[in-house]
Amino acid sequence: MTTTAERQMELTLPMVPDIEIAAARAVGNLAREMGMSSEHVDEMMHAVIEACINAREHSGCADNRIYLRFLGTSQDDGSRIDIWVTDHGRGFDPEEARSRRTAPGTPHKRGRGLQLIELHMDEVDISTTLNGGTTIHMVKYEKKS
Amino acid sequence: MTEELKVAVERKPRGAVLYTKGYINNVGGEEIANRAYELMDDGVRTLLLNLRETKIVNSIGISILIEIIEKMMDKGGKIAFCCLTPVIHKTFQIMGLANYASIFDNEEAASKELGL
Repeated sequence: MTTTAERQMELTLPMVPDIEIAAARAVGNLAREMGMSSEHVDEMMHAVIEACINAREHSGCADNRIYLRFLGTSQDDGSRIDIWVTDHGRGFDPEEARSRRTAPGTPHKRGRGLQLIELHMDEVDISTTLNGGTTIHMVKYEKKS
Repeated sequence: MTEELKVAVERKPRGAVLYTKGYINNVGGEEIANRAYELMDDGVRTLLLNLRETKIVNSIGISILIEIIEKMMDKGGKIAFCCLTPVIHKTFQIMGLANYASIFDNEEAASKELGL
């Protein structure tokens, strides 16, 4: 399989209200340049928004920054976008967060951000350590039709 | 950076339609709630939210929409949504809104079903 790195972008954003929109627009633009479908673009934008909100609301980081990296690559059978959203905050226990979930479709007022990320993206990996920060790595694939 | 949500209200003979434009986050959700609660206080018991010009809703905004639905249900009324993007529709299903509020493809179908 031939893989070609085509697009890469790194952003450092302040944790201010609505900054997640800037991050979502950036990944949306990259995804459109990669020829991804509008539905996949929307799903990635929603996932990035939830990841940024989690970082802003729960990380408790001292530097008040969110670090984002987007990497778009083309493969013979389609393309993929890798997204990393990093904070330097207190970290969390992903399994504990997942254990607090209710079943999809059950009305629940808060705490669905991680669940939405996992349902909108094809792959999600969380690296987090106590007081060592958190990185959410997400992948979206677009197969050639 | 701010993303202000705009909300317009159209009163109908048997209810009202709220039109949203922009990002539904915590602030946008509160704006919708304020308008919805004003209508409920005014006796409106059937409310349609037309999200035709909203492309992004975050989980906090959705939590506020759930509160609005619960409040309307407490009053014996009903809330419905129309003109959702596929991703917002999917998100509403995950978050449980679809269990308590009907979702329609377009305003015409919603108005007919709701009797607006």
